Amino acid sequence: MSEKTAILFDIGRFRSADGPGIRTILFFKGCPLRCRWCSNPFGLAARPQLAVNREKCTGCGMCEKVCSHGVNTVVPGERVTVNFSACVQCGACVTLCAAKARMIAGKAYTAQQLYREAAKDAAFYRKGGGGVTISGGEVLLQHEVAAETLRLCRANYINTCIETSAFAPWEQLWAVAQHCNTVFVDLKAMDSGKHKELTGVPNEQILQNIEKLCEELPKKGGRVIVRMPLVPGYHGSEEEVAAGARFVAGLAGRPELNLLPYHDLGETKYAMIGEEYGLPGVESRNAKDPKLLALRDLCQRLAPENRVSLGGDAILLD
Amino acid sequence: MATNHTPTAGAALGNELRAGTVAKVGSTKRIQELNGMLHSNRPNVDITRARAYTKVYRETEGMPSMMRRYKASAEVYRSLSDNVYDYEQLVGWPTKRIRGANFAIELHAHWLADDLPNLRGRTYDPFEITDEDYKELEEDLLPYWKEKTMAVQWGHYVDPKEWDRAQFGGVSDVSNYLCANGSHFIPSWTDVIEHGFVKYYEKAKALRADLDPNDPESVDKRIFYNGIIEVLEAIRDWGERMSAACARKAAQETDPVRKQELEKMAEMMTRVPWGPATSFHDACETAWAVCFFLFVEGAGPSITWGRFDQYMYPYYKADIEKGILTPESAMELIEELYVRVTSNVWFQSTQMAYIFGGYYRYPHLDVGGLDEKGKDASNELSYLCLRAMRYAKTTSPAVSLMLHQKTPDALLYEACELAAEGMGHPSFFNCEGLYEMLEHRAGGLDGHSNYNRRDILKYGSPIGCVEPGAEGLQYGHTDSGIINVAGCIFAAVTNGRKAEGVDGTYCGQVVTYESGAPETLTTFEDFYAAVKGQVKYAIDECHANLLICEKILAEQFNLPTFTVLLDGALERAKDATAGGAKVNIGPTMQMVGFATMVDSVAAIKKVVYVDKEATLPEVADACKKNFVGYEALRAKLLAAPKYGNDDDFADEIAADLWEWFAHSTMRLKMYRGHYCDAAVQMVQSNVGYGAMTGATPNGRLAGMPISDTMSATQQADTNGPTAAARSYGKLDFPAYTNGTLLNMWISQSELMQ
Repeated sequence: MSEKTAILFDIGRFRSADGPGIRTILFFKGCPLRCRWCSNPFGLAARPQLAVNREKCTGCGMCEKVCSHGVNTVVPGERVTVNFSACVQCGACVTLCAAKARMIAGKAYTAQQLYREAAKDAAFYRKGGGGVTISGGEVLLQHEVAAETLRLCRANYINTCIETSAFAPWEQLWAVAQHCNTVFVDLKAMDSGKHKELTGVPNEQILQNIEKLCEELPKKGGRVIVRMPLVPGYHGSEEEVAAGARFVAGLAGRPELNLLPYHDLGETKYAMIGEEYGLPGVESRNAKDPKLLALRDLCQRLAPENRVSLGGDAILLD
Repeated sequence: MATNHTPTAGAALGNELRAGTVAKVGSTKRIQELNGMLHSNRPNVDITRARAYTKVYRETEGMPSMMRRYKASAEVYRSLSDNVYDYEQLVGWPTKRIRGANFAIELHAHWLADDLPNLRGRTYDPFEITDEDYKELEEDLLPYWKEKTMAVQWGHYVDPKEWDRAQFGGVSDVSNYLCANGSHFIPSWTDVIEHGFVKYYEKAKALRADLDPNDPESVDKRIFYNGIIEVLEAIRDWGERMSAACARKAAQETDPVRKQELEKMAEMMTRVPWGPATSFHDACETAWAVCFFLFVEGAGPSITWGRFDQYMYPYYKADIEKGILTPESAMELIEELYVRVTSNVWFQSTQMAYIFGGYYRYPHLDVGGLDEKGKDASNELSYLCLRAMRYAKTTSPAVSLMLHQKTPDALLYEACELAAEGMGHPSFFNCEGLYEMLEHRAGGLDGHSNYNRRDILKYGSPIGCVEPGAEGLQYGHTDSGIINVAGCIFAAVTNGRKAEGVDGTYCGQVVTYESGAPETLTTFEDFYAAVKGQVKYAIDECHANLLICEKILAEQFNLPTFTVLLDGALERAKDATAGGAKVNIGPTMQMVGFATMVDSVAAIKKVVYVDKEATLPEVADACKKNFVGYEALRAKLLAAPKYGNDDDFADEIAADLWEWFAHSTMRLKMYRGHYCDAAVQMVQSNVGYGAMTGATPNGRLAGMPISDTMSATQQADTNGPTAAARSYGKLDFPAYTNGTLLNMWISQSELMQ
């Protein structure tokens, strides 16, 4: 029997966000949520898929010639147009593209292979407390490979983090989270109806999981960081942020609350897979925005025992 | 050759300073004014040295060659300008105008005689020259020297085709060597600052007095000592002249503060550089004067300050204790040194400016490192030297940190603050690698250098770009033979040809040798052997030419000031060019286009021999036709594994070619009895050599830049800096005993606070 594999859409090395130090980030593919601000659309669908950066296209027409499914159309002098729904992910057009404008997002790895990828940069993790972070997509959709990968990393002294929505049965969450130094868990909305409107799923299971995780993980030496995305026009109101802060203040083990300013870096990726972005025109904000600083101060007042941070790269060593 | 000349970002500050659109830089008004004076001058030609040489050579026809050469050097010191400018605290300039080039006519005349009309307007490194000087050069000086330069004399030893090929063919190249005699040198700073030139003067006189006229060796030695003594007397007289000039200026000065400064400078010039330095200010003056003496006597780059924070520290500490110096006033003197040394522009032939353009003359100053007992050597001056560059913002000297396990974090962070200024300062040198390279420098495949452990720890430091050297102990030209290995790759797939339609000579002809038509290279091993055959041919050709040039230099192009500043050379009675140093090195062999070669071999291995998606004749034809009609093949070649991504398919080829190139050079014996060293350090020349190179099998188009230094091909390292670093880590750096240079560009947004 062949070993179990997980599908990843990217492995990013030398990343400084989503955990302390220099990190390798394993992006697992597939997600049960459909958050409208998602910046990693390649992580949504579980299957491998063609991605095309039309900005790089030189209009040479090689992809049109090689494709037997009529996916690519090149009008002379223009950039390619792509019919993504006809694509069977054979990859023939990818190697022929001299402009390197194409990729198949989605490749299978065993836990052993992922561990070896993570271990490559071990020399760079050491000084700054870096390590591996599993992001996505949603890591829990492929929890078996994720759990084994993290176990191998942890056993070999590599710092481990995951980023998760916690939208899964507790057993699956725990199977993965127990091997983590840090679990980033999202609090996307306190009201379940609103959560469903923004992400496509309700939040009861998520909130229960967060509460339980905050009780269990510190016993294993791990920590939880609750992340609240702040999307202008969606999570703006003080009342909603305050509700989140109160919830975090009531959790066991005084988890850190990390406020995430919205950025639109994912917007261009939607067009690369033939989809439309859910939040066109919403402006990015940075961690020095006075409105966000005020919200952080508000949270700090409501959760005085918890560390409250602003920005994805504001993570301290544990 | 491209003709439109847009200034690079690096030149932008100079342009803005000249235009007055940005404030002058420097920690004090004095430095701001001096920096302004520097930048208000364009590079210009000074013919003082050329005139002095011509005068002496005309007067000394028939005398021994060394005697003529030493007399000419002395005459140059007697002819130097005695300008003293406002604001300066240090004294003396190599040229009549700031940013002048007192160029070596005896090395440059052969090309300059033809190219003089283009000098003011050439694309790379144009020079200003006055009409009178132009006329004197054209009518009097250049005709005298035109047929006497080293390049011309080398032509007497080889056939005309070889002469052309090794300068303009662009594969096995000695052009960087021909006009750069006297370069890459760390004089014995500790000794000359502590004792002054008078020590060498007394020693030379004593050694001459001891000569036994019945000893056969005494015949040449007497010529040597006579010459050295004349040169040193000229240096003594220069100091007296400069003292008088300062006194004259003081007498005219109305501002009482400045008047007092000038009077002190006049006094200082009676002490140094002739005698021992008695203060930090004196020591800076010796450091400056010796530096520019060598830049005038030698024609090449990289007169290096070496371990400045070590040999200057006793003077700094004593003056601070006496209360006559503050850290701020010390830093002001260091900044003035930076401004002054930047005024030394490199005068190069048009062909070399095309490859090395930018006027930069590679002076170098190091801080940090270990002391002779193996302890951390850093002190207050280490910090001040780094901080001074943040204020002075000059291109020179290359300030570098010698990094090791014991480097204090504070010094490392101070260096990082300077790095964040984005000016290319400082360089970071790994002492472990540096010391290992020095242990084996010029020692050949099985040998060791003449350095002992104490020499290395106390005096070892980088020179120029990255070359390992040691204060007062080493002489030799370090970036001389250049092997364009990307050109070798083109030759390997086309049976020895150079591409049609690229720059330089030999286009479409056999530029190396016929290593086998592509259809005969049926296995990867056959092809790989052809690649190595081409590179080895280029190395051997280069070596043969360098041997001839070394002989000519030793016989006719002696360097008395360099010789005096080499520990033990006076006792040996041997000129630097003839082997006067304790450790003789060079000329060395360096490769340019390493990653282009590796990626090309990897692409051919993958596409032709593993996947069998194309044949070698097809790849050869594609390269000859610059991939026109071969777009699909080019895409496959581009998609093959590339060096710099932590991918063993490419990295194993890299590691093998890396070690092999080093060994192929280290086996070669040089003229002064030592062995050749290998290097990979070319920074900007990859553009010029790229313009002379056809399309390569890694998918690079004809004429485009080849890869720089030992770094991955531009844009081919797509897995981030840690993957690239792991690729580089697979190579044995210290095998390149003449140094390696690695460029990694990291976006500021990717750096953590």
